Amino acid sequence: MTTLAQNLPGQNEQANTQSLGALPSIEYDLIRAHVFASLVTLVISVLFGILVAAKFSFPEFLGGHGWLTWGRLRYNHTQGIFFGWLGNAFLAFFYYVVPRLANRPVLSRRLGWLLFVIWNFGVVLPGWVLVAAGFSQPLEWAEFPLVVDAFVVLAFILMVFEFVLPFLKARLSDLYVSAWYIIGGIIFTMLAYPVGNLVPELVPGARGAAFSGLWIHDAVGLFVTPFAAAIAYYVIPATTRRAIFSHFLSMVGFWLLFFTYPLNGTHHYVYSAIPMAAQKGAIVASVYLGIAVILVVTNWLLSLRGSSGTVSKDVPLRFVWFGVLSYLVVSLQGSVQALMPVNRFIHFTDWVIGHSHLAMIGFASFIALGGIAHLWQRTPGTRYNERMMNWSFWLLAIGLTLMVADLTIAGLVEAEVWQSSAPWIDSVRAVGSYWLVRTLSGLPILAGFLLFWISLVTGPKLSEATKSETSSEASESVVAFENASPVSDKLSSTGWLSYAYVVAFGAGVGFFALSFLVLAILPGKELEEEVKRVAPVTMPMLTASEQRGRVVYGRDGCAYCHTQQVRSLAADVRRFGAPTEPWETKYDYPQLWGTRRIGPDLSREFNLHPRDWQLAHLYNPRLVVRDSVMPPYPWLFDGSPSQPTQEGLDVLAYIQSLGRARQLSGFDRQMLAASVLPGTSDMAMAGEPSARATPPNVPIAMTGGYSFSAPVLHASSDSADLLEEVSRGGTLFAANCASCHGSDGTGDGKASASLLPKPANITAARFSDERLSSVLWNGVAGSAMPPWRQLPTEDLRALVAYIHSLHVPGAAPSTHDVKTLDEGKSLFAANCASCHGDTGAGDGPTAGALAPSPTNFRLKKPTQGRAWDVLENGVPGTAMPSWQSQLSADQRRALVEFVRSLYGPPQENSRQ
Amino acid sequence: MINLIVILISAIMLALLLVWWRWPAFRAWIEAPKYSMLRQEHRFDDQ
Repeated sequence: MTTLAQNLPGQNEQANTQSLGALPSIEYDLIRAHVFASLVTLVISVLFGILVAAKFSFPEFLGGHGWLTWGRLRYNHTQGIFFGWLGNAFLAFFYYVVPRLANRPVLSRRLGWLLFVIWNFGVVLPGWVLVAAGFSQPLEWAEFPLVVDAFVVLAFILMVFEFVLPFLKARLSDLYVSAWYIIGGIIFTMLAYPVGNLVPELVPGARGAAFSGLWIHDAVGLFVTPFAAAIAYYVIPATTRRAIFSHFLSMVGFWLLFFTYPLNGTHHYVYSAIPMAAQKGAIVASVYLGIAVILVVTNWLLSLRGSSGTVSKDVPLRFVWFGVLSYLVVSLQGSVQALMPVNRFIHFTDWVIGHSHLAMIGFASFIALGGIAHLWQRTPGTRYNERMMNWSFWLLAIGLTLMVADLTIAGLVEAEVWQSSAPWIDSVRAVGSYWLVRTLSGLPILAGFLLFWISLVTGPKLSEATKSETSSEASESVVAFENASPVSDKLSSTGWLSYAYVVAFGAGVGFFALSFLVLAILPGKELEEEVKRVAPVTMPMLTASEQRGRVVYGRDGCAYCHTQQVRSLAADVRRFGAPTEPWETKYDYPQLWGTRRIGPDLSREFNLHPRDWQLAHLYNPRLVVRDSVMPPYPWLFDGSPSQPTQEGLDVLAYIQSLGRARQLSGFDRQMLAASVLPGTSDMAMAGEPSARATPPNVPIAMTGGYSFSAPVLHASSDSADLLEEVSRGGTLFAANCASCHGSDGTGDGKASASLLPKPANITAARFSDERLSSVLWNGVAGSAMPPWRQLPTEDLRALVAYIHSLHVPGAAPSTHDVKTLDEGKSLFAANCASCHGDTGAGDGPTAGALAPSPTNFRLKKPTQGRAWDVLENGVPGTAMPSWQSQLSADQRRALVEFVRSLYGPPQENSRQ
Repeated sequence: MINLIVILISAIMLALLLVWWRWPAFRAWIEAPKYSMLRQEHRFDDQ
């Protein structure tokens, strides 16, 4: 058979797919081994995923040990899918397809087994174990620790020998597009992997994030997509027995994908501190990528034209077809969500999680399943069970559709709440039911994968199996091509075309290098200069304890729910303070910016929540935040929140250090003069990033620390409105306050046992509006009471109304005789005034050094019983001692009466 | 940055389209692999 390639000048001596002799051998044992490994790791990874999803609805579930905590399972879920499932599935397909495309066997059977062992027992298994044991890297798609990364790189080097070398040896002039994708995917992932996994450990903060962003997209664009595309380009013509629509289009798509995918990376950090030029470049590249994908998918669908019958009959092809459609949808979705007007809304929400599941299951996994089923049917001794396979397809398609739709809607709901002034926890409450549906949607997906596995092992026995139905059919398109007039003579003057592949390969490496240059190295240089110019000279480094806490924070996946980057968006700034400056993370190795928010951003946590609150929250978040879905971390404590281990103290120290450098540096002093108004526009749109350092209006709301600008909140004077306020306040109290103060306000909530001082019994005192406003706005220094100024003012006002309604009789001012009051007065002056002040206003000479501050009896008026109780027992956790042994009962009684005389007339009490 | 990306991609695409449009021999050359892939698949199927 004479071929086009043989007719090319200078090609006659070259091997090609037709010259040919014996067929190259195929390593079917390795195929079976990798298929088996892929399915085992797939099922385990999906189980990890279901557990991760279930913990949103049942956060205590399997929450008692670090090995099974949400963060570590989350790392193992995605890395298991990436390396275990997809990696093994792709490798199985390479062993099937490389000998066919190169007309040569893979380099070595022994090397193949070595690769199998390294991939599964040097990467996947130790990666899982190490992550579960707490050794990981808190970087998206790079969670396996560095020691495992070394084996990944080694595996890719071996892949070059095993799979790329046969193509080079064959010196084919007509390299099919699947081969291009395999070669490109192996080489470029081998180059990108160390950059994405190692560089963020060496380059801090924003600069490191620029590299992380590249890898996040390279993992999909240089590993997952090329290999899935290679399978689709192979299975479609091999099943339909007809050549693909256009090899030219496929090559255009190939180069566009390899050029634009790496340039997309920074679209994960839109509105961040990374220079705007890099962000906008990534956005433009994302749009180009959408165009490239339209080209690729059009080519695939045109290759399937007239084959609808085959698609419906042939399950592997149907898997691939579904993957093709998913690829179109997910890619266009990706292009759109990179655009600033969309990104500002949906970024960090569940929308993006839906997007990534559509990519990894709908596109990559469906095509990988199609590829495995296709080769299984053509592997000696194996056939699949068609009925099971069919069920597997439908279960997967239904489960995935439900999951993606659910997460997409959940993302929109979260985004809507985040844009409003509603408290953060409202967004968690709002999507609770969506998270439950998401977990349930994982069940048909798991069942689908299990059925796929079962279908492979329950197929007809070899003796019953028949040859592929279409194996002997002549391909119409091949015949047509053979009969067409030869074009070789027209190519007689095109000797340079034989070098086109070399040129193209050089261009590919150039594109790849360009992406690192324009999206990481140049922006990094700019960031470095900005940090040098702007960073406060006094910026403190983390202490040893904080540094250790940072490691724990990273290993347990905290950064996967809490970002540490306030974006240059009004909605972000209103909630969390001024946008993150590059210098704030200049000591962060690796950066912990995060790409998802389930909990609030933590970059301004310094001074925001008191120590006891943080410890109770870490021990069991629901002790202090009733509807929190955060996992508990009991292994950081010795049995109770008041007994943190060293690791617990380290995490506490790290969390409380976040935002400290910025707050102490005075960087925002001038900006605190104004607060962000609801209509404030997004700053990044207005100008280049240098603008960040000058004008952002920092809200007082979430920057932590004491604010003197607390508004005085008054309950409504209209009785109907007051009733409504009290009712709403009760709901708010139950949701936000009852976990500490108890459902009836007596201070005996779930968290009270672990807090010192104990939460206030708010039924045992009458509070002035001024006092309540101050406490709600600023919290109580030295206690676990945090500020609540993130709640809307109307809600705070309702809380004030509700707390007033809890008041019990007994706090009326003293009416005792003058003698008793005089005795009390002198006792007060001798024993109490140094803290509480001469007039009981809490402003004695030592008051400034005490936290909590001594009570101001004009603003907080304890009942007689409460006052007596305090004198008898003191207030543990504060400077207030017991006076039982120092004062007689009569003296204490006199003191109680005197203190009550300080309250002022009753009519003053309600409105101060 | 944006200009660089747009110009580079546009230039490459234009050049490819121009070659494809002006040079039929290129079309045949670039399409050949899709047939050889199928031929090879036949060889394996007939094994």
